[in-house]
Amino acid sequence: MHFEVLDMAVEETNSKPEFILAKTLSLFQTISQQLDLLISINEKMLETQKEFLQESNARAGNGVSPDTLSLLSLPSSLRKTVLALYKLQKATAEDIAGETKRLRGMESAWANQLVRLGYLKKIRQGRKIYFFIESRQETKE
Amino acid sequence: MKGKAISIHSARGGTGKTVIAVNLAVILASKGCNVGLLDLDLRAPSLSTIFSKVIEPPVRYWLNDYLNGQCTEEQVMINVSKKYNLEGELLIGLANPAVDAIRSLLGKSSAWEVTAVKKLFSLLSRLFEDMGIDVCLLDTSPGIQYSSINSAVSSDLTIVVTTLDSLDLKGTETMLIDLYDALARKTAVLINKYSPEPRMFHGESSKGIASRVEGILKHPVIGVIPCFCDVLERERAIIMAIEDPKHPFISELEDVAEKIDKIVKG
Repeated sequence: MHFEVLDMAVEETNSKPEFILAKTLSLFQTISQQLDLLISINEKMLETQKEFLQESNARAGNGVSPDTLSLLSLPSSLRKTVLALYKLQKATAEDIAGETKRLRGMESAWANQLVRLGYLKKIRQGRKIYFFIESRQETKE
Repeated sequence: MKGKAISIHSARGGTGKTVIAVNLAVILASKGCNVGLLDLDLRAPSLSTIFSKVIEPPVRYWLNDYLNGQCTEEQVMINVSKKYNLEGELLIGLANPAVDAIRSLLGKSSAWEVTAVKKLFSLLSRLFEDMGIDVCLLDTSPGIQYSSINSAVSSDLTIVVTTLDSLDLKGTETMLIDLYDALARKTAVLINKYSPEPRMFHGESSKGIASRVEGILKHPVIGVIPCFCDVLERERAIIMAIEDPKHPFISELEDVAEKIDKIVKG
């Protein structure tokens, strides 16, 4: 009999909107924390994979070389960015856009994609980010 | 850049590319234009032989040395305009014909080619911006090789020289589609060694030939130069624009030079 009264009291408390809201909020907070953890693990994994790829490429001596023949295997959008950088040597996305007559934002996206593919390097100088083609001879120097 | 770079290329050898490049350079310089001429046929150089009469040996720096970072832009270019009494300047960059120099190129990596194309852009930039050159002609190696693609990539216009031989035409068509269209380069076709004999090409006129070839290649034809037997019989080291400037072959090239000027300016 005592137990029945207790169950009824708990049920009554659980059905209160304040309680439901508090519980939902707590659940969302847990989910958010778990997602943050997943993102952080994923970022670490990507970083490790990138380092591993760079190391193995360096060890094998087969880093991506954006020579003129290799350009033919790139999509035309990316090819145009590399062609502009041959001429400009070292340039911001805005400089590249001036050469290719395309939008700065698009050039920035393509140049960053070429950096990820290993065709270009980028360097921050003050507030500007410069993209350039690095060749192995220059690396040795 | 103020000046314009023009590559002279062909799908196969023997189309007359070098003879055309040298004579175009002299024609333009004789009209008061400041001209650069680079021998980028690094594996089979010939400009050193053609200009041997006016260049005192030994050549101190070759284009090979420049591409290897062993000399400056000013050191690699040789001014020959006074030797020929040309109105404009004619600066030439020669490739080393020595077997050792050519052998050394065979072992170059694709990474070296990246440096080479960047050096080529720097050379053109210095020629146009600091050395007063208006037009620079790049004589390249035939077919698809690094030296020819590097020069095509660094040029404002490429003239692809072809004969009407079916192998030449097919090779040119493939190269235009697979290379020049893919790299989005401005290209024009120059037909050389066209035989005006009525028994050849069903007596088709040079205009008809140009229009037919434009239809096949989908690129503008800037000239149809007839085959002059006496040109073929002469020593190739002779510069016709100097030795025989009134020859009809040179008149044909003068028309081509005017068209190039229009394309470059357009």
